[in-house]
Amino acid sequence: MKNKANLNIDFCGVHFENPFCLSSSPVGNHAEMCARAFEAGWGGIVYKTLNLEDSFKIVMPSPRLSAYHYHDKRFVGLQNAEQISDRPIKDNIRDIAWLKKNYPKKVLISSIMGFCENDWAVLAKMSEDAGADMLELNFSCPQMAHKNAGHKVGQDFHAVAAFTEVVKRASRLPVMAKMTPNITDIIPVALAAKDGGADAISAINTIRAITDIDISNYTPLPNIHGHSSPTGFSGPAVKPVAMRFVSELYNSKSLSLPISAIGGIETWIDALHFLLLGATNLQVTTGILRYGYRIVEDMIEGLSDFMIDRNISSLNEIIGLAAQKIVDPSDFESRYQVVSQIDQSKCIGCGQCYISCHDGANQAIVLDPESRKASVDEERCVGCLLCKHVCPVWDCISFKEVDTAKVKHAAIF
Amino acid sequence: MKSPVDPLKVAQFENMRATLTLQAAIKEANRCLLCYDAPCSADCPAGTDPGKFIRQLKFYNYKGAARTIRNNNILGNVCAHICPVEKLCEKACSIKALEDPINIGGLQGFAIEYASQAGIEAMDRSKKTSGKIAVVGGGPAGIGCASALAKLDYDVCIFERSQEAGGVPRWNIPEFRLPAEALAHDIENLLSQGVEFRYNTDVQSEEAVTKLLEDGYEAIFISTGLSRAFALDLLDGYTNSIDYITFLHKAKFDRESLDLKNKNVAVIGGGSVAIDSAVSAKACGAAKVYLISLEHLSELPADIEEIKLARLMNIIFKSGSQITGLTAENKRISRLQGIEIAWKEAGKFSPENARPIAGTEFSMLADLVIQAIGTRPGLEIKHFAKGLKTQGKGTITVNDRFETSIPGIFAGGDVVNGGATVVQAVGEGKNAAESIDNYLSMRRNK
Repeated sequence: MKNKANLNIDFCGVHFENPFCLSSSPVGNHAEMCARAFEAGWGGIVYKTLNLEDSFKIVMPSPRLSAYHYHDKRFVGLQNAEQISDRPIKDNIRDIAWLKKNYPKKVLISSIMGFCENDWAVLAKMSEDAGADMLELNFSCPQMAHKNAGHKVGQDFHAVAAFTEVVKRASRLPVMAKMTPNITDIIPVALAAKDGGADAISAINTIRAITDIDISNYTPLPNIHGHSSPTGFSGPAVKPVAMRFVSELYNSKSLSLPISAIGGIETWIDALHFLLLGATNLQVTTGILRYGYRIVEDMIEGLSDFMIDRNISSLNEIIGLAAQKIVDPSDFESRYQVVSQIDQSKCIGCGQCYISCHDGANQAIVLDPESRKASVDEERCVGCLLCKHVCPVWDCISFKEVDTAKVKHAAIF
Repeated sequence: MKSPVDPLKVAQFENMRATLTLQAAIKEANRCLLCYDAPCSADCPAGTDPGKFIRQLKFYNYKGAARTIRNNNILGNVCAHICPVEKLCEKACSIKALEDPINIGGLQGFAIEYASQAGIEAMDRSKKTSGKIAVVGGGPAGIGCASALAKLDYDVCIFERSQEAGGVPRWNIPEFRLPAEALAHDIENLLSQGVEFRYNTDVQSEEAVTKLLEDGYEAIFISTGLSRAFALDLLDGYTNSIDYITFLHKAKFDRESLDLKNKNVAVIGGGSVAIDSAVSAKACGAAKVYLISLEHLSELPADIEEIKLARLMNIIFKSGSQITGLTAENKRISRLQGIEIAWKEAGKFSPENARPIAGTEFSMLADLVIQAIGTRPGLEIKHFAKGLKTQGKGTITVNDRFETSIPGIFAGGDVVNGGATVVQAVGEGKNAAESIDNYLSMRRNK
């Protein structure tokens, strides 16, 4: 019989059976979809951002998606021009109430966006009354068809603090503020949210980007009747950027708030990465757009097996362990030096390491034309490991530590 | 690895392997490791350089890929269809250590097809003239030589005995393996280089050669191929016993006259042409087609892909067997008798070395017997020019520069090598062109 690890988390005083949540997007558009997500195993849902249609009428652009493909690898990233919910507020509130009634043990987080202080207060109160467990403040949608909303609010410290404060006054629910990555330093905005009373930070929202251009008519995509705009980019391609932001939030001593991580999560390994960088809660959209709600099964099973294999009894034991190892580059150990090692029995002779080292590093790979085997000239190798990263045989190239006294640090010409 | 064969297409003599779609080609090109030393390129006898054209495909340089192919191998489209890639470019493919080799033939065909959708662009041709060269025989070697010479600014005229260019690919390779458009496309490229053809022109006589020299041709390249099929004495003189050259020509151009519907066919031989004959007979509607060869299945000279094709088409292999007798009436064979054999001495595949295995006698009904046991050059090659040295089965003797025993006369392709692949012939033609250029440059500088 399969053992199951305990994946429970407590996040802002709210109990989650597992940290996996839908992020605020079309994947949590209405009750029927959310119910299916709960049935599939998701621990919580951040419902698609509520809007008061009397304040601002939402019109969805069409088409609204463009994908980033790398050669034959499809959907490495996704660009969207999606707006917040275009459903009537009364329908969304009714759905939230229905979901809480039918799935009382699951967590429902209501995402809200206002266009003035009163909107924020009204939406917070309505969510609380409908039974939502938490609020997420959408300060970060990068493509709102409204000049004073979305990431423009998220770049304005005073507005973030003020709106958070309004929400905290209007409701007793825990509040997390969703950060935009479209900013140089995420910490001051997060601190502004904290000043306003935020209980947690979620990051990142999508990154403003242009994914593609139709070269037949010189128009960026998505081509919305002849025009386009840099809008929200998500998926595996943004995960490295999201990991950086999450680690910065975690390592900020003055912030010290729990984090819900978002950005390219598809597998239990992605989830683990964010936990190790300091996230307590995890949110997913693009992975579901691509593969459906079912992917949570493999996240749960994979993470559970990892915990059992490593004898981890609670996720709290591992949160932030990798973030603690992040330092400023000026603090790197300068006496540590490695050189590449090529496993001759695994080398298939393609010479990619040779080409890359020759044209992009320090000309330290020797390719024997007869045996077609690559080897490392340790005198020249600077230990950059470019060779390891280009090798098509994943376990062929490794590295070893060498005596720094013997190593020439500068490139030899 | 080659794309799959569609047996229904084979049965209709239509291109049996679909051209890769853009999506399939992008995926395949992205599997390529873009090796530093590109063993695929090193193993192409014609120097087609798959390592380069696959890189061009990967980086969406489709037209560049097509230019690389035709500049290096003027029969690039033909070769994309018929090359025994598993013995050549794909043999040393580095990725074989990890997964299936790259479908190089498929990518080659894709590049040519994709680029030609925008129309075939003329190949570069400068206005200056290096001299006049005559090529005798418009098959793969002659075409390869002519194209390479044209690139060196020679005026080349190909003298072709038949009414069309192409040689074996034109007349003897079945259309399910090689659609006519592929050859036509390559010939169009050749013509865009300014190469001239004289059809229905036989120059295989001393007078004709003398005339060529008088007409100002400074060198001659002989690429007349093979035309005389070997035959077993046992099968000599019967009205329903024919050689594979005649059969494949009929199967391609005069199918009805063969009248093979529901008939039984026996093919003698185990090489590529034997398999082409057997599969063509099946496609013509034959009921049972036997492939009888001295060589055992693992020893067949045919390529593995060809053997797979024959199996797919339900050819009955009687490998490791020999014909011992026949039943005939009015000079018409009705039944063949045979027996299984073992080798007296390992590795020597000759009838003298075969030892019949008692008790394995068999017989089969045969309405048509096709002999595909080899060919040699036509007898007329001996009259080509005074003193032209030949050897063995009548092939022309050349040195490593493709020079015959007569100065100024070069030769290559099947008429020299005794029968090899199309890509080999193109390569020999290309190399001979280089020798011809060196020869003429040296003569001018004297």
